[in-house]
Order: sequence, then C-alpha cells, then structure tokens
Amino acid sequence: MKVTKLGALAVGAALVLSACGPGATTAPGSAGGGGSKGTLKIAIDLPLQGSDKQSSDPMINGIKLAVKEASAASTAGTDFGGYALTVDPILDDALNGTHDPQTGAKNMQTAVADPNIVALIGPLNSSVAKAEIPITNEAGLLQCSPANTNEGLTKPEFGALDIRKAHPDKINYVRVVTTDDKQGPAAAQFIIQVLKKTKVYVIDDTETFGKGIADNFVKEFQAEGGTVVARDGAPKTTSDYTPLLTAAKPKGPEAVYFGGVTGTGGGIIRKQRAQVGIGDIPYVGPDGIQDGTVETSGTFLNIAGAAAKGSYSSLAAIGDFPAKKDFDAKYTAEYNLAPTGYSATGYACAQVVLAALKAVLKTAPSDMAALREAVRASAVNPATNYDTILGTIHFDANGDTSQLIVSFYKAPDPLKGDWVFDSQVDFGAKK
Amino acid sequence: MTTPTAAASPRVAGPIRLGRNARIAVASVVFLAVFYAFIGPQQFANALTLGAIYALIALGYTMVYGIIELINFAHGDVFMTGSFVSMTLLTRIILPVTGLTAPIRDIVPLLLVLLLVFALTMPIMGLIGVTIERFAYRPLRNAPRVAPLITAIGVSFILQNLALIIFGPASVNTPQLIAPELSVNIADATVPYINIFIFVLAIFLMVALNQFVGRTRLGRAMRSTAQDREAAQLMGVDLNLTIAITFFIGSALAGAAGVVWGLYLGSVKWDLGFNGGLKAFTAAVLGGIGNTTGATLGGFVIGFIEVGAASKGFSRWSEAIVFAALIIVLVFRPAGILGQQLGERA
Repeated sequence: MKVTKLGALAVGAALVLSACGPGATTAPGSAGGGGSKGTLKIAIDLPLQGSDKQSSDPMINGIKLAVKEASAASTAGTDFGGYALTVDPILDDALNGTHDPQTGAKNMQTAVADPNIVALIGPLNSSVAKAEIPITNEAGLLQCSPANTNEGLTKPEFGALDIRKAHPDKINYVRVVTTDDKQGPAAAQFIIQVLKKTKVYVIDDTETFGKGIADNFVKEFQAEGGTVVARDGAPKTTSDYTPLLTAAKPKGPEAVYFGGVTGTGGGIIRKQRAQVGIGDIPYVGPDGIQDGTVETSGTFLNIAGAAAKGSYSSLAAIGDFPAKKDFDAKYTAEYNLAPTGYSATGYACAQVVLAALKAVLKTAPSDMAALREAVRASAVNPATNYDTILGTIHFDANGDTSQLIVSFYKAPDPLKGDWVFDSQVDFGAKK
Repeated sequence: MTTPTAAASPRVAGPIRLGRNARIAVASVVFLAVFYAFIGPQQFANALTLGAIYALIALGYTMVYGIIELINFAHGDVFMTGSFVSMTLLTRIILPVTGLTAPIRDIVPLLLVLLLVFALTMPIMGLIGVTIERFAYRPLRNAPRVAPLITAIGVSFILQNLALIIFGPASVNTPQLIAPELSVNIADATVPYINIFIFVLAIFLMVALNQFVGRTRLGRAMRSTAQDREAAQLMGVDLNLTIAITFFIGSALAGAAGVVWGLYLGSVKWDLGFNGGLKAFTAAVLGGIGNTTGATLGGFVIGFIEVGAASKGFSRWSEAIVFAALIIVLVFRPAGILGQQLGERA
C-alpha cells in the first residue's frame, strides 16, 4: 500500500515537472512571422529511434516546411491573429528503439498540460494512437496523424467509441491517410489488376496491425476472384521462416502478401524466400515495410538486400498528387533530401492545422483553452474543405479523410536509394 | 545418419543400463521415421538444421546445470553475442583484410575463412563465458540457489542492452559466406550446402565434446565434480578450474551456434537470445537437464516439432505445441527423456 502511494506521488510529481518543462523553455518568437501576441505551439509526437525514425524524419521535415511557409507568408503574424507559430515540442514516443504506446500516452499528458499547444501532429503507429486518443479526446486537443491506418481508431463499428469515451461526439483525432480496411483490399486489387497475379501466399506477423490488414486483404482478394493458396501467421520472435516458405512453395503461389512491419519479419521473410527458391515472385506488403533507403541499416530494403527486387509496399495515401513536382522541388531545396511519401502527409497535416488556426484566429480568442477548442471544432467540421498538398479533402463524421487512395511503391532497381512510386488505386472510385 | 542418442552417455549420472539405451535408440529411430513420413524430405532437412542449432545451444545449458546446478539464463544471450561477434569479425576484419566478398565461391578461401571465423569466435565467446562465471556466479557459489539465478537474468539483460546500444534495435545483416542458393539433391529434397554444413559441424562438435568429457583428465574432473563436488575436491580436482572450463566449452559451443545462425539466416538481432535461449533451455529440460546426450536429443526434438508445426500450417501455434510437448514429456518423465531420477542425485 505504501509503495502504491509513493508511486502515485512520484507519477504526480513527474507530471507536474513535465507539464512545467516545455512551457518554461519556450523561446518567444522562435519561428518566423514575428507575431506580437506570443507564440502558439504545434506539437509533434513521433518515434525518433530505431527504424521508426526513418519514417518520422520526413514527416517532421514536411511539418516544419509547411509551418515555415505559412509563417513567412503571414506578415507580422496577421494571418494568425498576431501570434507567431512554432513547431514545439517534438516528443519521442519510442522506448528502447521502438515505438511504445505507454511513452506516447505519457507524452500526451505533457502536451495537453501545455496551454500554448493548439494542436498535435502524430503519431506514426496505430498502437500508440490507441493509447493517446483517450487523453487528447478528454482534453479536446486536435490531433492529426500523418500515418495511422488502423480502422479502430476512428470507426465506431471497429470499436473507436471505446477510445474516444470521454467525448464520443467531439471528434478531436483526424488523419490524412486512409485506413487498413482500404489499404489491405487495395493491395488485393493491385495484385490482380496491376501485377496480374491470381494465386497468392499470405503470411502475417500475428499482431493487431499485421493480422488485421492481412485479413482485409484476403477478403478482397477472394472477392475479386483470386485464390489464397496458403495462409500462415508467424509471431515476431520467429527467425527461421524457411519451414513456412518450404511448405508454401509446392502450392504454386504467384505472389506473396505480407501483413506486418519490417521489425516483425518483413525483411527477413523476403530474404529467406530466395533461399527456399521462390525468390522471383512479387512480394507485396503494407506501409509497415516502407521504411527507408537501401543504404540505411535496418530498413526493409537493407535487410532484404539483393532479394528486395520485385518487392512492393503500399502507402495509405495518394502518391501521385497534382502538385508533386513543385512539392518535391521545394522540399529538396529546403533539406537537400529527396521527400518520401510521408513528407507530403506530414505537410498535409500541418496544412490542416494551419488552415483551422487561420479560420479561428480571425476573431481573437478569449483564452488559450477557448482557442484550442475552437481549432478542434473547426478542423473536424465535415463541411470544411481543405486544399492540402494531397488534394482537396474533408473529414467525415469520424475524422477519416475523404480521400481513399492507396499508392504502391516498388523496390528500386538497381538497388539504390528509396522506394519508387509505381501506381495508385483509388478505392473511393470503386465504391 | 545415426541418431545422437546412439553415442555413449558422456556423463556419469549414474550407470545407464544398456537395455534402456537401446530402447531410447529404437524410440529415436521410430520418431525420426514418423517425422520423415509426416513432413517430407525437404522439411526434414530444415528440421535437422534448426535442431542442430538448438542442440548446440542446449549443450551449454545442460553442462552448466550438470556441474553447478545453475540454470544459466544468460546462455541464450551468449549465443546472441556470439552471432554479433562473428558478424563483426567478418564485416570489420576478415572480409576487408582478405578483400573477399560474401558469398565466397572458391572452396579453399571459403574453408579458410570459415575456419578462421570459428577459430576466433569460439574462444572469444568461451572467454566471455568464463568472465561471466568469474564475476556473476562464482562469488555466489555458496549463496542460496535463487541468488545466482537472479544474477544470471541480470547478465542476460546486460548482454541484450549492450547489443541493443552497439548494434541498434533493427536486424543487422551478416555475410552469408556459403551461397544460400547452392544446393544438392538428396532423396527428393533440395538441400542447400549451408544446411549440410551446419548439421555436419554440429555433429562434429558434439562428438568432440563427447570425447573430451569421456576421455580426458579434465573431462573426468568435470564428471566427478558433477557427481560430488566435495569428494572431487578431496581427490585433488581443482574446482574453480573445472567449472571455468565447463563455462568455456558451453559458451564456445553457443558461440559456434551464433556463427552458424548468421551464416544460415543472414541477419542477427539483439533479442535473438531470448527466443533461441528459451527453445534451447526447453530442449535441455526435455532431454533431461544435466545430460549432454539428452540436450542433443532435446534440441532435435524441438527442431522437429517446430518445423512440423510450421509445415502443416500451425505456425500460429508452434510455441504452444513445443511447450505442450514439454509438459507431456515432463508429466510422464519428470526428469526428461534421458534424465536420471532426482533421487539418485546427491
């Protein structure tokens, strides 16, 4: 009993400390725009360690670019009611090198306690979002994810009401990418229509994301007339996939679909397939295997090595958007790096937040709490259309984007650099 | 091939009756035949390879338990460390210095590089094992049984975190010296050379261990220490040296397992030791902990069960099936397949 009390005290003290931390260290006017009234903060929460960092960095760059542009365009902060904008704090939801839901939840406690934070962008992983949304929902803090695809985060039929329990009708979480119930099926359409293969071997990592997306894939693949020759699940502790692949080989698969991420076996399976002698058929996986260049240690392309040839990964967002050329040029000019698919989604999330801020700040808010609430209410309003870099979008009653496009990227050939955009499937066009 | 059980038991864990030995040999052959029929030749080759690796790791568990009755939970991480040591040796020293690139396709340089990487990794891991024993277990030799168990878990975490910090959280590629696509047809199966290499090497190391424990002075010292520590000491056996050598050999074998793991699967990861160690520990218990022949047998049994489950579409259940088998064996033979009954132990 004593221990529990002490623990509670310690947690409380930590909360107070962390709540004070960011507020105390804010440098006024740290971003451009030269606002006179003070600084509004757009927070980021993404995993900044391990292979997850490969996905997070392009998003952070995209967000910073959007905020920088908006600040520069707003003379003396006039677009934003005289406030300056800053991207701060950038919270890390990783622990010991990989994303961690509890760390994410702790970060949300920090964020909601800082009154100057008007919105938060992140996280990368659905499991983290699941732990974060209850906290931001209760506080009414707008959260925009550039990457989460799990349908359970928003859709009531997948249990989202349990997550936004505090205010089920006051949506605070939106995303600019579509969901796994689109991403998986889109991969099925891609394999049948673009790759023209009808027999597939499906393997998943037995985790929420991996198995979920593989289930969705299988349903659509069979509905489109394809055959699933075998279906396996191997937990992430598996190191030797050769028995599974050996068993699948005689069933004659023409393609392999993997539900999971690089860290749960994505790259290793691809590599071992060559060993078993089915290395020359296409391998398709979700956004979980699109995690960086060949040269970066620990990415799918790096682990699979020479075997990566013929691999495809999807991203639950548009890949070929109208202003892509301009965006790529200004991104490269800013960072001297090539943008990834996630650069644009990060940028788009920031655009949504900025547009909502702009709309709200036409009238001066009474206090920070009112501003936060107004930004949230404005952003999630289904009637508001946003001109983002991805296209014109709005959010539905659950906070999901109206743009149902899934794009597919191909492993580079020759094996150098990052995934290359291949084609995209518009799921909205079908239904 | 002959089953590993056909070899004479290296440990004097009480006289083993010939009749029982023969029964076990027959049971093993029947088990192998049933499995061969069940999973087919290709998967049989996979199972022998995986089983050989588990067996190499399991030997270290069982030797240490046999001599000081400690379940060395750090042993799985010694295996993991071995895989990283060999990866580092290959990518940082051996390949750059010789100017070779993996896979090596000429037989002579290939054999030389293989010899070199084993000749370096095994002693390095042996020394690491001896160091662990010296600092984490020896001071606690007369402490309550649970104390060294906790330090073992501590050492396990230290090794994991070191690997995590030095090599990062993602899988790290390691050179596959033997080209994985090279194979030979044996009895309807396409068996890669790497699988054959691993199996032959494992059997070689196990026979060498058998000969060492059974035929040499030091081996005799190990067996006598296992039987009765105090009596052995009275007879002039250097206890510290004997225990150190046990750790050296066990860790060197885990190091060898680490090398072949990298050669076989081409990537290593910081948390490899947990699962590999757990399976090998299960193998040691299944075979009868304290008995080296049992550890070998247990390693192959676990390999067969795991591959069998995966090949029949029960991969989601493979861990449950492995441990269900363990429970069933322990219910009927509490000391494991080849283990002596506890009552015989002093």
